[in-house]
Amino acid sequence: MAETKKYWKGLEELSDSPVVQVLRENEFASELPVDRFLADDKSMNSSATSRRDFLKFLGFSTAAAALAACEAPVVESIPYVVKPDNLVPGVPSYYASTYFDGVDFASILVKSREGRPIKIEPNAQALINGSTNARIQASVLSLYDTQRLKKPLVDGAEADWSALDRKVSDSIRSATASGKSVVLLSSTVNSPTYLAMLEEIRSTVANFRHVSYDALSVSGKLDACEKMTGMRALPVYSLADAQMIVGVDADFLNEANGQSLTADYGKGRKPSAEMLRHVQFESVMSLTGANADKRFRILPSQRAAVLSALYNAIARRAGQQGVKETALEAELAKSVAKTAEELWNHRGRSLVLAGGGDYTSEMLALGISRLLENFGSTLTFKYRNQLRTGDESALQGLVNDLKAGSVGVLILDRCNPVYDRPEMAEALSKAGLLVSLSEHLDESASMAGAVAPAHHFLEDWCDHQPVQGYFAMQQPVIRPLFDTRSTLESVDRWFGLGGKSALGRVKDHWLNGRFAGNVDRWNEFVHDGVFVAFDEIMALAEPSASTDPTLMDGLTFSSAGAQGLELAVYTKAGMGTGRLANNPWLQEFPDPITRTSWDNYLTISASDAKEIGLENTTQSNGALNGSRVRITTAQGKVLDMVPVLIQPGQAKGSVGLAVGYGRTKAGKVGDGVGVNAFALLTGAEAQQQFLSGVKIEPVEGEHEFACVQLHHTMMGRDIVREVSLGDFLNKPAKDGGLGWNERTEFETYAGPMNADKVNLWKDFDHTTGHFWNLSIDLNSCIGCGACVIACHAENNVPVVGKDEIRRSRDMHWLRIDRYFSSEMTEEVAEEQSLGAIEKFRLMEDPSENPQVVFQPVMCQHCNHAPCETVCPVAATSHSAEGLNHMAYNRCIGTRYCANNCPYKVRRFNWFLYHDNQEQFDINYAMNDDLGRMVLNPDVTVRSRGVMEKCSMCVQRTQYAKLEAKKAGRMLKDGDAVTACAQACDTGALVFGDANDAESKIAAAKKNDRMYYLLDEVGTQPSVFYQVKVRNNA
Amino acid sequence: MHYEAPVREPLVLGNKSYHDVTVEVAKPIETAPPRSWWIAFSISLLLFLWGVGNILYTIGYGIGTWGLNKTVGWAWDITNFVWWVGIGHAGTLISAVLLLFRQKWRMAINRSAEAMTIFSVIQAALFPGIHMGRIWLAYFVFPIPNQFGSLWVNFNSPLLWDVFAISTYFSVSLVFWYTGLIPDFAMLRDRAVRPVQKHIYGILSFGWGGKAKHWQRFEEVSLVLAGLATPLVLSVHTIVSMDFATSVIPGWHTTIFPPYFVAGAIFSGFAMVQTLLIIMRKMFKMEHYITIQHIEMMNIIIMVTGSIVGVAYITELFIAWYSGVEYEQYAFLNRATGPYWWAYWSMMTCNVFSPQFMWFKKLRTNLIFTFIISIVVNIGMWFERFVIIVTSLHRDYLPSSWTMFAPTSVDIAIYLGTIGFFFVLFLLYARTFPVIAQAELKTILKSSGEEQKKHHSEHDGHH
Repeated sequence: MAETKKYWKGLEELSDSPVVQVLRENEFASELPVDRFLADDKSMNSSATSRRDFLKFLGFSTAAAALAACEAPVVESIPYVVKPDNLVPGVPSYYASTYFDGVDFASILVKSREGRPIKIEPNAQALINGSTNARIQASVLSLYDTQRLKKPLVDGAEADWSALDRKVSDSIRSATASGKSVVLLSSTVNSPTYLAMLEEIRSTVANFRHVSYDALSVSGKLDACEKMTGMRALPVYSLADAQMIVGVDADFLNEANGQSLTADYGKGRKPSAEMLRHVQFESVMSLTGANADKRFRILPSQRAAVLSALYNAIARRAGQQGVKETALEAELAKSVAKTAEELWNHRGRSLVLAGGGDYTSEMLALGISRLLENFGSTLTFKYRNQLRTGDESALQGLVNDLKAGSVGVLILDRCNPVYDRPEMAEALSKAGLLVSLSEHLDESASMAGAVAPAHHFLEDWCDHQPVQGYFAMQQPVIRPLFDTRSTLESVDRWFGLGGKSALGRVKDHWLNGRFAGNVDRWNEFVHDGVFVAFDEIMALAEPSASTDPTLMDGLTFSSAGAQGLELAVYTKAGMGTGRLANNPWLQEFPDPITRTSWDNYLTISASDAKEIGLENTTQSNGALNGSRVRITTAQGKVLDMVPVLIQPGQAKGSVGLAVGYGRTKAGKVGDGVGVNAFALLTGAEAQQQFLSGVKIEPVEGEHEFACVQLHHTMMGRDIVREVSLGDFLNKPAKDGGLGWNERTEFETYAGPMNADKVNLWKDFDHTTGHFWNLSIDLNSCIGCGACVIACHAENNVPVVGKDEIRRSRDMHWLRIDRYFSSEMTEEVAEEQSLGAIEKFRLMEDPSENPQVVFQPVMCQHCNHAPCETVCPVAATSHSAEGLNHMAYNRCIGTRYCANNCPYKVRRFNWFLYHDNQEQFDINYAMNDDLGRMVLNPDVTVRSRGVMEKCSMCVQRTQYAKLEAKKAGRMLKDGDAVTACAQACDTGALVFGDANDAESKIAAAKKNDRMYYLLDEVGTQPSVFYQVKVRNNA
Repeated sequence: MHYEAPVREPLVLGNKSYHDVTVEVAKPIETAPPRSWWIAFSISLLLFLWGVGNILYTIGYGIGTWGLNKTVGWAWDITNFVWWVGIGHAGTLISAVLLLFRQKWRMAINRSAEAMTIFSVIQAALFPGIHMGRIWLAYFVFPIPNQFGSLWVNFNSPLLWDVFAISTYFSVSLVFWYTGLIPDFAMLRDRAVRPVQKHIYGILSFGWGGKAKHWQRFEEVSLVLAGLATPLVLSVHTIVSMDFATSVIPGWHTTIFPPYFVAGAIFSGFAMVQTLLIIMRKMFKMEHYITIQHIEMMNIIIMVTGSIVGVAYITELFIAWYSGVEYEQYAFLNRATGPYWWAYWSMMTCNVFSPQFMWFKKLRTNLIFTFIISIVVNIGMWFERFVIIVTSLHRDYLPSSWTMFAPTSVDIAIYLGTIGFFFVLFLLYARTFPVIAQAELKTILKSSGEEQKKHHSEHDGHH
């Protein structure tokens, strides 16, 4: 309808000339046919780039450049394609497992981060050995030992598993065919699955037998137990029920036949009227002897004599017949009689432990226990102890067979006879085929024709039965790092048992056996790591002790008084029998008694040393040197170049030498460290663990020790406070200056004031929020050093090597100071009216038989910290939670803080310890890629030139706080615990928030025994100590 | 107005005219160095380079190359630091304090004493730097604005005070020294014949024209700087002593330290001036300027300060006993009778006993004896710092940490290196700078018309 009337704009339009038509068409831009244009290769190639194209290209390239710049370089990190459900980066997982290397046994929790096991922690659910000692704490590092066997070896050359299996099974077959025997030699085995498998083999291979032995044999003890109870098993001790313990050469705190007594010992030593009394008779100053209330020095050969004297004294009281007795010195006889009297007063609640592994001592100890009616209370045979089952006579039989050439195949499992039974080396070479199941190419494995590399225990499945009715599960926490194989699997293959995997075999054993197909119970066992067959235990009865009147006959007493000295072999807390000799943490661990690392040595009394002309000298840089000797035994065995360390408390006429050192094929770390004491032992001497008639002659040269504590006494200072039990019970702690635990007071214008009140500083407010405190009970601390290694592992503390330790540059954040008492005291000096110079000179010398105290010292987290004020860059500062922090990034390394620390707990990175191939090439702990896997990702690895120190495991408290926050609850006591407190099974270390009135730490802080170290300096530490109470009745 | 009693010995001997002074001061600069200079310079340079090498080695590998350990965190490093700072004290004392006290005798020695100050403070300043574990972060000690948030230095730390004290002292000393040098540089410029030399001295002399206004400004600036420098003489070593005095370590925690350190510093500084000047006056034949009287004066100061130091030592012992603090008592007993007894008794012998010889005029005017004592004093003062630092640290509170210290070759090399560096600087200075403040010295020349005539007639007689 609309009229299409058209208005033209000019005459040109009206005329509609071609020019107008073109102009009209071009008035609005038509869409460019980009697609067609781009698709047309020909025109693309021929056409020049237009402005629009240019802009497009510009836009594209700008965007591309911008995007490229956003991209961070990714260095060899591969994210999970499918993330495992139970693995959250940054969150640790814990797996229950079990450690058993034939010597130490423990139920443990393994802390794993991003798939890497990084820390061993005690399993609180365990009823037996749920605690970790230094060796077990350190065992995780051995997983990352680069010198482990990586491939099977056949005749010394790398081979694949099938070749090895073929060779071994062929040999077994041919041995069987030719009537030769097939023997599996191992250390103590207590795995039900393993033992069942051996049983299975025995049923199919008639000439198969299993022989087990213990590096430090207790075969004689087992014989004694067998005679006493008819059961070849050691007793299980229940120290918790004892009020008195007597150790006769028994280092039971370090090693009690595989059973850990430390937790009960710690509990028993809590000061009260009921406090456990501990008397020790020994030759070498042991960890146990150092903790005794009363320690008597005896010669090793007097062990049986002391025990028989005790026996007779008690038998007289019990109206029973005595045994043959050898005379003791009057002084010692009196002490023994007194001890016997005390034991009699504690009958039924006492324990007498004998050292060594010989029959006589154990028989006497058991006899005493029987007289004291301790059976069934403090020691029991009810649960068959399977932690030490080695049989020396069977081993001797094997040696005879080997020499006769009747052993076709000898399989070595978790044992190293060439090292710990050097006399066997020759016999071993006579085996048709020697097969080794070993983690390292050790002394024995390197003799073997076939070496089957075994898993590290954290890679392997196994189960354990330490005592009857009590089971422990060993589950792997990481895939095998190398081409290794489980022992269960290897043995299975060789004997043609069906090729079951280790897991399959263990699981079958349980599901087909005790769990009767109940997978839930299996899962629960694996989860908990422990399983107690209560039904079985309830059914067990205490075996009746033998009433045979001839029981005590036929005891053989070693004759003392032979020419020369007596040499006792012992184990050090850090090294045990040398299984973990290639572990840098353990090598660097200072022995609790001698404070010397990276060595073993002949311990000798000062008077004997003087007689022979041996000495220890301090070098100008503080390093300790010692004479060297040649040891010649009565059998003519010789050990040369043995360093000598003068040991207070060593019985005169005796010397001590630790086993576990002198390895030659342990790996780069352990090789050539110390001398091999096993080389001196033969037969009966190995049983009693000492040698008589040893000749010691000085040889040329000086040995260089790596000793971290050169000064042995407290110099009359108020460092470790000590009180007798009597005073503790009857006298007040604070009594106007006369109490046994007074605070330092200063006279001021405003009257007497405590050190923390006399200050010019503004106090931090620690009444709100958290206030992290650590209590150290000097009464419970036995100095074992589990905490030292736990701290090492938790906080990525570097290993620095022997030379650096010699230069007093140990890096341990937590050290355990050990002080010996001295004959010279303030009182004695006054009595003899000695001058100060003479007094202090004599104070430096420890007594011949000193009392020993241990004092763990770490950063005291002073609330008025001398270190904090002096740092020019404020790299060390105080937290609102009572901690003294280190900001490593800020530290420029002036070392002023370390100088000004009265406790000397600060450690400086003198070199680049975590990447120091040049100086510390043997140390894999932090120095190679594999060794670095053990590092705790929550703790910074410190660089060169930076000061470091105990952080009170701040990463743990932070983690606990965050967890509580996420869960929306308050932090509970026990949520956060430091690595040291966690590792301490005597309960000496208690950590917590002192502002939490309900906490254990708050109670400890109010304890009468609480005191601050160097209170008078006014540092107001967050760490405090509890006075040691000595039960010297 | 200055009045001088006629009985007083002239300070410059040999009836020097102004021109003689000019010529004799300029002579070492305008002539080729003698063989002995080259030998001394080469040895110093070698020592210096050896030291530099060892410093680089330390920085490359870590402080572990030194003999330090967990207990003894400072030893030769800080000993050397304090020793060099102490030596640096004499220069400022001579030029500033003696200027304020109008002690004219200072004029012959103040230039070299100040040069010694500057050079020894350079040596001293090296040590706080290289003793750091991470020297590449040394700038953290300066309160400079940064990107680390509100991260600031710790104003409580005596080490930080050190940073301020040393840098202030160094800059004030340098400016003071340079101000004094300006007219002398101008003199050298005016005498220079070689254009390059003339140009350089021209720049160094800041266009000095010798106008009355110039002299007036010169005098005023000198006085102001002297006023500024005087408290520094006391403050620097006071603050250095606070590194120790404010700590809690027995043997360090001592309130007597500030005056005791200052006295010790002056003591060692004068000893070093003696050592240097006795050689210099011999080498450059300046016996007329640096006279026995100067030597004697300085020996008296050495004797007095040495005795003050001795009193301080004995006071320390008394206070340790009197305090009743067992740690302190032991620390001092240990110094005298412990494993480092030899260091303590070296210190006592060198610092307390040896200056007592200066009571005898015959000895204090004997050049050889003075020279020996001056070296003995500096050995003693080095031991003093070693004793304070090492013997206090090596046995402090807990005997479990007690240990010993022994230097490594690197420790020794760095120390000798700084001695080399010091002498490199000093020897270069001696050949390029006017070693006597000749402009000032000319103000105390005793010249009368008679003298002048006599001089002229003698001079003419030669022709």
